[in-house]
Amino acid sequence: MINEMLVQFAEWLYATGGSRAIEESFYLYNWIETTHVLTIMVCLGMLAFIDLRMLGYALPNVSASTIADRLNVPMMIGFALMFITGLLLFYAKPTYTNQSIWFRIKMVLLVVAFFNAIRFHRHMKASASTWCNEPRAPFNLRVSAALSLGLWAGVVTTGRLIAYDWYHCYRDLPGWLSAAAGCVAE
Amino acid sequence: MELLPFFEWAETTFLGYIGKTYGGVYATFGQSLHLMALAVLGGSVLVADLRLLNVIMKDVPSEIVTEQAHKWFRIALVMIISTGIFMAAAVAQRMYHNDFFWAKMSALLVGIIFVFAIKRPLLKGSHADLNPIVIKMVASASILVWFSVAATGRWIGFSG
Repeated sequence: MINEMLVQFAEWLYATGGSRAIEESFYLYNWIETTHVLTIMVCLGMLAFIDLRMLGYALPNVSASTIADRLNVPMMIGFALMFITGLLLFYAKPTYTNQSIWFRIKMVLLVVAFFNAIRFHRHMKASASTWCNEPRAPFNLRVSAALSLGLWAGVVTTGRLIAYDWYHCYRDLPGWLSAAAGCVAE
Repeated sequence: MELLPFFEWAETTFLGYIGKTYGGVYATFGQSLHLMALAVLGGSVLVADLRLLNVIMKDVPSEIVTEQAHKWFRIALVMIISTGIFMAAAVAQRMYHNDFFWAKMSALLVGIIFVFAIKRPLLKGSHADLNPIVIKMVASASILVWFSVAATGRWIGFSG
């Protein structure tokens, strides 16, 4: 049911003029994708430094809350650009992307990363004053930081794999994979 | 010097064989790790250069920030070059004829020379002794060159 609705929505998006214009423009589509990759350097680059600081591997002699506070702004600017360009990339190829198992895994990982970030900030706010000058964060924050690095590595990997159609609906897929990829009967 | 034979040979190596034969290995251990290393490299460049430009972490001495960021820059650079060699080996002959590949290699070379021959020696001592305009020019050039490396790298896939 949900897959049918998603397919209908993707087909509607695909039929809009904006979607066709982006996909059919060599320079527009490729520059959106290039910007999406460049924002990885901004958003995930900053995120990596925050997480590595919590784990004690980067800037251990600088207060952890200082790192988190100061890098948060450029990270969020990078994330906003990454999100907008990501939406545009989906908008350009909605029918293909909607039925990519990698895209779906990426979305799940993004949601988990989002909740992990909320948990991280909550713990950080509650406890930073007691340990922020220590070279390593307390155990629960280190777990969140490691999880964040792992989840974003997964987001990057699955994002890159969207380009590959190894498990796309026009392949011969097992039932569970076909359902997970959003394939619907013709 | 004729480089084509070297690129033809690269495709016949073990790395070239693995990358060409196993698409999953190529995509995950090549492309994905390359992107992750790019993220860390981008982070290290931006953390150091935005600090030098007085945009972030103004309350932390720039010497500490640039020194620590450079440690991660080196790690990311090694990862980028390693995964880049693996990816290029699989499609070496196509790379040889791809203009953006050479643009990226040129930008990468300029970036490496810039960091190790200009930026690092310049920033080794106290930054207070340096002309602030020079520091800002170096930081801006650094951001520009490394974002050019990333952009030209992405365009390899769009051409040839």
